[in-house]
Amino acid sequence: MANNINKIDELFANYKKAGKTAFIPFISIGDPDIETSFDIAKALISNGADMIELGYPFSDPMADGKVIQKSYERALKNRVTMADAFNFVARLREISEIPVIFFTYYNPIFAYRTSEFADSASAAGIDGVLVVDLPPEESFELKQFIDKKNIDQIFLLAPTSDVSRIKLITSYAKGFVYYVSVTGVTGARRSLPAEMRSKVEEIKNIKDIPVGIGFGISSPEQAEEIKNYADAIIIGSKIIQFIENNLNDKKNIIKSISEFSCGIKSSLM
Amino acid sequence: MKYPDSRGHFGEYGGRYISETLMPAILELEEFYKKIKNNKEFKDELRSYLKNYAGRPTPLYYASRLSKLYSSNIYLKREDLNHTGSHKLNNTLGQALLAVKMGKKRIIAETGAGQHGVATATVCALFDIECEVFMGIKDIERQKQNVLRMEVLGAKVTPVSAGSSTLKDAMNEAIRDWITNVRTTYYMIGTAAGMHPYPEIVRDFQSVIGKEVLKELKQIDKFPDILIACIGGGSNAIGLFHPFLKYKEVKMYGVEAGGFGLGTGKHAASISGGKPGVLHGNKTYLLQDEDGRIKEAHSIAAGLDYPGVGPEHSFYADKKRIIYDTITDKEAIEAFKLLCRLEGIIPAIESSHAVAYLDKIKNEIKGKTVIVNLSGRGDKDMETIAGYISENKITK
Ligand SMILES: Cc1ncc(COP(=O)(O)O)c(C=O)c1O
Repeated sequence: MANNINKIDELFANYKKAGKTAFIPFISIGDPDIETSFDIAKALISNGADMIELGYPFSDPMADGKVIQKSYERALKNRVTMADAFNFVARLREISEIPVIFFTYYNPIFAYRTSEFADSASAAGIDGVLVVDLPPEESFELKQFIDKKNIDQIFLLAPTSDVSRIKLITSYAKGFVYYVSVTGVTGARRSLPAEMRSKVEEIKNIKDIPVGIGFGISSPEQAEEIKNYADAIIIGSKIIQFIENNLNDKKNIIKSISEFSCGIKSSLM
Repeated sequence: MKYPDSRGHFGEYGGRYISETLMPAILELEEFYKKIKNNKEFKDELRSYLKNYAGRPTPLYYASRLSKLYSSNIYLKREDLNHTGSHKLNNTLGQALLAVKMGKKRIIAETGAGQHGVATATVCALFDIECEVFMGIKDIERQKQNVLRMEVLGAKVTPVSAGSSTLKDAMNEAIRDWITNVRTTYYMIGTAAGMHPYPEIVRDFQSVIGKEVLKELKQIDKFPDILIACIGGGSNAIGLFHPFLKYKEVKMYGVEAGGFGLGTGKHAASISGGKPGVLHGNKTYLLQDEDGRIKEAHSIAAGLDYPGVGPEHSFYADKKRIIYDTITDKEAIEAFKLLCRLEGIIPAIESSHAVAYLDKIKNEIKGKTVIVNLSGRGDKDMETIAGYISENKITK
């Protein structure tokens, strides 16, 4: 197992050759309920997602804006557990080989026991883990276990990151670096900072590593612009808004998210 | 070994569990504080504000009637007499001076009881800095007076309705604001918790309490056997305890909020009734469920109503250097009444938890010299007290 190439690394290697930018949608496991979130994941996969990022709901999501906070609250009402999350990924694995990134805060992982988390995550088929509140300085306690399982630990870089932070983080990063487009929490934004492009170039000058951009992206037009310099775009809040807006109409959730996903995918072609 | 270590850890606790956006600001603060903390000019300036503005040193008062009741020598460290009515100003004066020297133009803070909010609004007025305080709507309701105080001092009070609408949620919202405005804004944490270097900074500024007690006791040729303080995030407690840690013979009790009782699950006793985890940037004891979600705390004292505790306390709890125990809402109210009637001092409900502990260890304190940290005054709590008394049909 440990010698297999990681699916995330493999995808970026292929996309680099083909000059393509990957689309990574984000959803929360259990929002609006587990079965519907599973159907959303399936719909995203059949409508253009290249990887999928699954949020595991936490009670105190300090880096998240209103939309994802509410999404986590809905999921928490459904009492989603870590076992449910692993089961979710294992079921996805039965129908798709898409790379899966698990996104959460550290406490749920710590409460599960970090070493057991690594075992179960690997068994379920998780390819990457992004823990928002685990900067490189505190990352070893997770890294020591997931490295052995060939799971990529994804790190964030931000507009506030200077050269020394970029050097440090790219030296730790596996899979890709997740560049947070704005100084702020998650949430769809109409306009994005102009410095984004130069920052991505700065990162790539320091290390040749795939860079994905997330936080704030909401439209095919933005995606079309970003594809010129980034290796992936991550969209969360905008997709989750479709859930929030259609809570009593599951069909419409699936339909609107599928359409949106197709739109993003074609803007990246 | 000095704690925290160079990575901001107290043994396995503490650390910097925060999003990358904040890391540069945290590192900048750490560097800046390291440079300035032993700077004579800075220390003199802070000392001058503590003396002439805050009114320090606060008295160490021999509570004779209380002492007689328990056949011991009980001294109250009168933080209730500090300007703004609690120990919180010791920390905000220090941090505001830091923020000014760092060139920050805006200060944000979270508050529970409103005491830290008031202390923050106060120093922002003093130093002419824009101020925004995040406060849960449940706390706004039960600490109305402090909301008004913050507002007349010129601060913007932003209500937080997420989650349990108390201190932890106010802290989440402050952190979100900080992530958004980190380039211009200084985050003034109100207790010895959160991400490194805050637990260290707040402890250092609050240690003025313990240092004064040492001096005050020396003047009367006494030395304490026992120290008692209440624990919210743990800043008044660590402020009293820290200068005494090197004296092995001094016993220390940190009193957590037992709410309706540990057995009911409705309490705010993170050490006595929680387990280690990660929240608000540090690893520490937390109230949480099996899946690692944070539980709502409960205490009649808004300032203790927090599901976590500063990492240094977690560290000394495991080492058993400090003993942590709990006092219920009911016991705190009884102690509140006792201190009013015996000494003519109206304590904050938070501080009443420390006073109540005297009764819990009444056999142990006989003949001993005991220091109780009276962290704040109770004026802010009159409505809560009146409500509790009428709800529970007890006498005034
Ligand atoms: C009077 C008083 N005492 C104690 C506390 C608890 O905080 P800490 O444990 O940081 O001293 C508060 C918090 O608001 C307070 O207002």
